[in-house]
Amino acid sequence: MSHFSGILQLTDLDDFITPSQECIKPVKIDKSKSSGTGSKIKIQSDGSYVQLDEGGAIQPLQRVDISLTDCLACSGCITSAETVLITQQSQDEMMRIFNEKRKLIDSGQIAEAQFIVVSISMQPALSLAETFCIPPESALKKLTGYFKRLGADLVVDMNVADDFVLLEAQEEFIERYRMKADGSKSALPMLASSCPGWVCYAEKTHGSYILPYISTTKSPQQVMGSLVKNYLPQYLKDSNRPIYHVTVMPCYDKKLEASREDFFDSTTNTRDVDCVITAIELEQLILSERKNLAEEEEGELDWPFPGEKSTLHLTSSLGSGSGGYAHHIFLHAAKELFPDQQASLEFKALRNQDFQEVTLEKDGKVVLRFGIANGFRNIQNLVQKLKRNKCSYDYVEIMACPSGCLNGGAQIRPKDGTSPKEMISKLEALYRQLPLKAKPECNDAVNTLYDTLLGGRNSDKKKALLHTKYHALEKNSNALNIKW
Amino acid sequence: MLALLLNKTKTFVGMNEVMVHGDLIDNVNRALQRPSNFLNQEMDELDEESISKRKQDLKDQVYDCIRTIKDPEKPSTLEDLEVVYEDGIQVKSLGGANSPSVIHVEFNPTVPHCSLATLIGLCMRIKLQRTLLQAIKVDITIKKGAHDTEDEINKQVNDKERVAAAMENPNLREMVENCIRECDD
Amino acid sequence: MKVLYVCPVEMAASGRLDLVDSLTGHRGRVWNVSWNPTGTVFASCGEDKTVRLWTKSSGQRTWMNKTVLTDGHQRTIREVAWSPCGNYLASASFDATTAIWDRKSGEFECNATLEGHENEVKSVCWAKSGNLLATCSRDKSVWVWETSEDDEYECAAVINAHSQDVKKVIWHPHDDILASSSYDNTIKLFREDISDNDWINCGTLASHESTVWGIAFDKTGTRLASCSDDKTVKIWQQYLPGNPEGVVTQSNEPTWKCVCTLSGYHSRVVYDIAWCHQTDLIATACGDDAIRVFKETPSSHKNQPEFELICTVHRAHTQDVNSVAWNPKEAGLLASAGDDSRVNLWQFKEETIIF
Repeated sequence: MSHFSGILQLTDLDDFITPSQECIKPVKIDKSKSSGTGSKIKIQSDGSYVQLDEGGAIQPLQRVDISLTDCLACSGCITSAETVLITQQSQDEMMRIFNEKRKLIDSGQIAEAQFIVVSISMQPALSLAETFCIPPESALKKLTGYFKRLGADLVVDMNVADDFVLLEAQEEFIERYRMKADGSKSALPMLASSCPGWVCYAEKTHGSYILPYISTTKSPQQVMGSLVKNYLPQYLKDSNRPIYHVTVMPCYDKKLEASREDFFDSTTNTRDVDCVITAIELEQLILSERKNLAEEEEGELDWPFPGEKSTLHLTSSLGSGSGGYAHHIFLHAAKELFPDQQASLEFKALRNQDFQEVTLEKDGKVVLRFGIANGFRNIQNLVQKLKRNKCSYDYVEIMACPSGCLNGGAQIRPKDGTSPKEMISKLEALYRQLPLKAKPECNDAVNTLYDTLLGGRNSDKKKALLHTKYHALEKNSNALNIKW
Repeated sequence: MLALLLNKTKTFVGMNEVMVHGDLIDNVNRALQRPSNFLNQEMDELDEESISKRKQDLKDQVYDCIRTIKDPEKPSTLEDLEVVYEDGIQVKSLGGANSPSVIHVEFNPTVPHCSLATLIGLCMRIKLQRTLLQAIKVDITIKKGAHDTEDEINKQVNDKERVAAAMENPNLREMVENCIRECDD
Repeated sequence: MKVLYVCPVEMAASGRLDLVDSLTGHRGRVWNVSWNPTGTVFASCGEDKTVRLWTKSSGQRTWMNKTVLTDGHQRTIREVAWSPCGNYLASASFDATTAIWDRKSGEFECNATLEGHENEVKSVCWAKSGNLLATCSRDKSVWVWETSEDDEYECAAVINAHSQDVKKVIWHPHDDILASSSYDNTIKLFREDISDNDWINCGTLASHESTVWGIAFDKTGTRLASCSDDKTVKIWQQYLPGNPEGVVTQSNEPTWKCVCTLSGYHSRVVYDIAWCHQTDLIATACGDDAIRVFKETPSSHKNQPEFELICTVHRAHTQDVNSVAWNPKEAGLLASAGDDSRVNLWQFKEETIIF
């Protein structure tokens, strides 16, 4: 059974395959050693494969490994095979790293141990809070305690990254709006980029039609990745210490995002996010210790950033539980572009609850039209409108999951007869009860990091650390690889 | 065990890209060229000897058709590779007034997880469809136990809708045309 | 020129199909035939990427090809469906699109193309209400489309319930209930969940042992007939929650139970099935080139119905028969399409045979 979001479950995107059966990733074979056609393949009694050349010499054949990165670079399916997931992005892998670290420490080799950082996002914290019946802030602290007990050096919330994303996205929108006014055709609508399922779908099936519209601003996870790998060495005053970065996320698709080539540093051979762990997996880990999260000691979240430590860890916005992008950018754009107009945040549901829009009018004319599209059917209608040049939106917050990220694919499933819908409304209610976050412009840590780490708001370094690119994938045309 | 699962067919067969351009036969014309009245009613009155001769003739015709099909990745023919063999062909029914002719073709892929088995099946079906003068029903199956996913492959190769759609994919079609083209030598 | 050839008809059963017309025009395989709601026109489509409309001029007994719709699709047209009002046609193609044709200008013209499926669209069907359309594809998904007054088509649902290629979608004769059949051997039923306007799988009918190629509701919508690659036809009966028979239902959804399996009649895959809403006769299109007609026996019981084969036309086509469709108004008039590039018309006549 696949774990990825519904959007990736159409043919060629996720085929529930095992790699040995249907994977079409082309493999380069080094043929210099044998003469090509004259050799035969034999299967040994132990299941290994060998090649017999014409002279009868036996040569063992190598196994090919497939990673999620390969899947992303291929126009074929995305495998959900455990064999692939298990290699990098799994609870087993995370526990292996923690155990390795403990062994090194036990044997006194502290300097060689990796520095482990865990970043926890809001949605899985709410999911765990609901599942174990603990207040959200306490659930987050107990989760912090859990990771510290495992051996994490730093546990942080995602607020700094969230604020960076909101600021970058609102700037990007104003810029695109002005480009549009100057005649650029692909400037608007700007489409949100923080949902990796949506981005992956767009890259694999709609390529150049859609990609120019997707915001170049990285998702909070990847901004966090940039900060951890680029800022923390400064903070630790040790640029050689290897950092292992775990993020806690509401969906499996985030594992794909972390595996993107764009977020891999070939010079250091590391990823910005090394391992993505989800609410479901955390629940399993906690239960496998025969423990209830409620019994865990609360831990203190860390504050490696400049300025005064924030006391609010879990916060809500007026907008959606998926990051509140549409609301935030709408208010900012209204204030910036139409300062005389009174913008009200009344989102109306259109076809269904998962498709909402808000408009700003000036002199009876709509001057800004923002939308929220959750779930595949709404994405589909939007994409088709865009292709036919009939899309009237300026910005759309797009999430692959119905109801958005609170209902992420890896949020813990309801038990004891609660329906999935009731579960979503419970999480939605928990979210609305969280304290409202301050304006991102007022985040001192963010402002300081812009000046210090990023070298200003227009620097190349800022672009490199906070923005990314998308790549259309060519449809596979090799007949041997076509599924029919 | 997990590592074993990752063992891929690709490793050994390599990737030779098929780039030869074949003459495309107009698929639509084919159906018109076929004689529409093929009823062989006197079949019911034939003696056993004639029936077995007719069966043998049909078998030979079918075998001649498929043995020269080339492997999608190698220059060898299916006969060279022992993927097809005369004993693999059975005439199930010669047809009559109330029943169509049916032949059954069995093939044996080279390795039990050969990723090309469906393509080989596709080539056989298309070539038989075009070559046989009579509208003979063809069932194609993998030799029992010769492939890890034989049921899936059998189902796909015998689904005429999947086969028809596959032949409208230009890349697949080019590959099939190339594999089933008769060489002059 | 039309060639009428003699088809040997088995007379042992209590009915016969007389060949009325054998129509040529399509080049290559004809996949589907479909009557308009008033039964005055039928559409056929196939490998030659055209939709052909056939009508009978008043006073004439032969059907003429009046219109050929071309340029709608790049690949084979697999199925064609009429809207309940008869003013729209939808065609499903291997080119991954569904074309909507309307005759606002007097002639049928393609005025909308539904895109979104990843590959071959296999089937398309209009709901009785007229503003819902369903499509299905090899991409395993079933899509529900909603039409608005200005002829815009929006996707109302993408349903990933099947694990394989979906071969056929049909709507319930009265309600907005959708049925689909698949290469995964199952039939699934869907309805809209009013609470969030999404479509949910409200029933899975599993009993066939291979691909289910065709499905058809009877006129009441309480029975469904299915035909399969396993060479059988099955009849399914709906049981509502709290039914007097005591058939178990779950989550307040009806249960569909297989109450009859017709095996041993077809010698190859059964590609299509049509349940006549006037005569209650069931016709099948088979890969053994035959068309068969089944009738429920008069003494048949609701929970254990019996159907008998009352007519077989061997060699109804010279190759596989792909589609059968009963005329919705003229009782017993049946259209069929085959790999032999022909569309044949048949008139069913009930008769009492004395041996």
